[in-house]
Amino acid sequence: MTDARVTGAARYSEDLDLEGQLYARLVRSPVPHARVLSVDASLVPPRCVVLVPDDVRGLARYGVQIEDETVLALDRVRYVGDVVAAVAAETPREAEEAAALVQVVYEEVPAVLDVVDAVAPDAPLVHDEIALASGGAAYFGMRPQPGTNVCHRFQLHHGDVKAAWGQADVVVEETYRTPAAQHAAMEPHACVARWDGERLEVFTGTQTPFNLREELGRIFGLSADRVRVVVPLMGGSFGIKTFLRTEAIAAALARKAGRPVKLVLPRAEEWQTLNRHAAVVTMKLGALADGTLLALETTCLADTGAYADCGPGVAQKMGFAAPGPYRIPNVRVDARCVYTNLPPAGAFRGYGQMQSAWARERAVDLLAERLGLDPLDLRLRNLLRDGDTYCTGETMHDVHFAECLEAAAAAIGWREGRRGKGLSVILKGMQTPSRASIRIERDEDAGYTLRCATTEMGQGARRAITLLAAEQLEVDPDCVRFPSPDTDVVPYDTRTTSSRSTYMMACALEAAVQALREDGTMGEGEAIEQGGLDPDTGQGIASTHWHQGAAGAEVRVDEETGKVEVVRLHCAVYAGRVVNRPGAELQNEGSMIMGLGTALFEEVVAAEGQVTNANLSDYPVPSFADLPGRLTHELIEREGAEVHGLGETALPPVPAAIGNAVASLGIPVTELPLTPERVLAAAARAVEAPA
Amino acid sequence: MTLELRVNGADHQVEARADESLLTVLRRELGLASVRETCGIGVCGACTVLVDALPMSGCLLLAPLAEGREIRTVESLGGEDPVQRAFAERHAFQCGYCTPAMVLAAKRLLEENPSPTEEEVRLGLAGNLCRCGSYVKIVEAVLLAAGKEREWTS
Repeated sequence: MTDARVTGAARYSEDLDLEGQLYARLVRSPVPHARVLSVDASLVPPRCVVLVPDDVRGLARYGVQIEDETVLALDRVRYVGDVVAAVAAETPREAEEAAALVQVVYEEVPAVLDVVDAVAPDAPLVHDEIALASGGAAYFGMRPQPGTNVCHRFQLHHGDVKAAWGQADVVVEETYRTPAAQHAAMEPHACVARWDGERLEVFTGTQTPFNLREELGRIFGLSADRVRVVVPLMGGSFGIKTFLRTEAIAAALARKAGRPVKLVLPRAEEWQTLNRHAAVVTMKLGALADGTLLALETTCLADTGAYADCGPGVAQKMGFAAPGPYRIPNVRVDARCVYTNLPPAGAFRGYGQMQSAWARERAVDLLAERLGLDPLDLRLRNLLRDGDTYCTGETMHDVHFAECLEAAAAAIGWREGRRGKGLSVILKGMQTPSRASIRIERDEDAGYTLRCATTEMGQGARRAITLLAAEQLEVDPDCVRFPSPDTDVVPYDTRTTSSRSTYMMACALEAAVQALREDGTMGEGEAIEQGGLDPDTGQGIASTHWHQGAAGAEVRVDEETGKVEVVRLHCAVYAGRVVNRPGAELQNEGSMIMGLGTALFEEVVAAEGQVTNANLSDYPVPSFADLPGRLTHELIEREGAEVHGLGETALPPVPAAIGNAVASLGIPVTELPLTPERVLAAAARAVEAPA
Repeated sequence: MTLELRVNGADHQVEARADESLLTVLRRELGLASVRETCGIGVCGACTVLVDALPMSGCLLLAPLAEGREIRTVESLGGEDPVQRAFAERHAFQCGYCTPAMVLAAKRLLEENPSPTEEEVRLGLAGNLCRCGSYVKIVEAVLLAAGKEREWTS
């Protein structure tokens, strides 16, 4: 039978309708920072249900790492788009019209709209207090800086950076910027909530069903068995459908209405819901004349917007991956997650590692230029090898950085001439610590059913897990059923993020198959990865499992217009063992194309805190017409290796490879995206002050 | 108002407001969930339907203007259409949200140009976005459907 995605039979959260449901619409703040003086819903027709701040004052605060959110903004709004009220009505149109009738009076207070301004000593505070989350997702020590906008600070100390600068023959330092970006999943956020007495059921596209169950339970004061989360196929996510987004509002409206409530976000509101962290990263590198790296010092400012979400985790990963896959004896990292009065930022494919890779890999090329060395040779001289110790103190195993980088270099003909070409290489951590479990049930028809919380957003994890299960059960994949996750039925899993699911579930599956063989009808298996970093020293286990990748790019730049054309793009990624080849290829291709958009044009633009390009015309995402002349990639495998997650690895190296290719033409770009304006400005700066 | 729409070969009488889009009406009144709203402004192509065999954005076309015209959605293809089979064989999708529209756009492209080059496929489908970035395999699938399998394997 042809795949349901091709016949049109696939159903997403947006397609789900429950008997008697109402349609919700949100009322959002038009100002970036204000006291809410009043919310008046008296003009709304009485047949509509309105949720106002007084309805939710008694509900608990939430937040996956910092408890800084309430179901509606109470007394104070912190960004343009903060939700102050919500309406449910019989039709979407009636809800839209009713929402426009809610009158809110604001008294504006000073806003902070830039991450550098936000860490200045006299910056307006976005939150007066920073309360840490108590739930399971706060898996590392939080270090909020009281009285500032910094909700988490991560530091890493390795060796003695200060002493090292004196020993270095060459030192380079530069500041690199990356903007906020929008995931722009084709399907918007969509959920339906209903109450069955004191039991809440939510049908929603989410990568994090168990985190969502926990947060909804905390908000409404319900034990875990009174919250059910069911996750249909998602029409893309890339991080935007993680943790609690709109589900609590739908649930609160449904409880007040006594009827199910469906909430589908209008496209423009996606930009007001979650974006990628804008970042400002300074990178200082020191080396001996022969290219041996001596020291790296970096500060990373991650703009998490008005609410932290998982921003502390993003900033921490941006920080611990900033030194990159190199042997560097002296390292100092200072990464901060910073509040501003902008829309919240959270998980985005690459999870902070694109931002720091952009800075580091551009700085490595700058260093090579100052040293008069080939950037490929400089990298190869310093890349981590099997058994080396990373700056976190952990030992690196199954290391393939040099193989990835040399493959990328060969694909673009690096040794035949470097002009217009660029390389980059990255390491990317996987969620650590984490826990995965899976249950296999033998069905009466001799088939098997997998009970597993791994969600499907197009990444193909469920197909890969099905194939792995079939392989271990020694049956045809068609005999293996894999229903959508339902927290009432599936065993616990941390979440479907950080390219962890295929790897973790592969480990859990082995135990489950073993248990099934012993039991005959049912078997459950669990995989646990221990680790984590000390947030003050950066020492420990950052990742039990490192993703490794490299990119090579060749560009042409129109000197008159500043337009960058990518004529060749290649990524090489270490895959360990490929489970589902077409799926693996799609992950690489999709990551590279998203990286291309990041490199060339994707940027959330705001004026006075208001996003000014919140539509897919003014915020373009890559189309067929934007593809490089040649886009190729490879999956590097090793006999006997374990499975490696592939969902993100080919994204973070792409912008830096393209940036380095542009820089090789004498245009030292430091800020993404590489719009014609920025390219022309960088070229003009280089003429005024040659490197 | 009551509209008389001819969709996938059958005549339907549906209730709609005069200012509602064909996309809204097809989904709500006829349950055709393969027609999907992403951008709402006619740039992403996810709501593509064939109107008198021409691909159009269902989000921009007012439903009353579709009266008397032959409307087709991917549901009418049945799953064994050569383009659908090529998409399935080449794994030319990830989340699948844009796929029905992509299939319709590809069908029309092949009607106009039964033997397109890779470049012509890229150009012909440039009005349909796939955020998952399945473009490489979509081009392969369209060339496969056109019987030009060998051109992309080089």
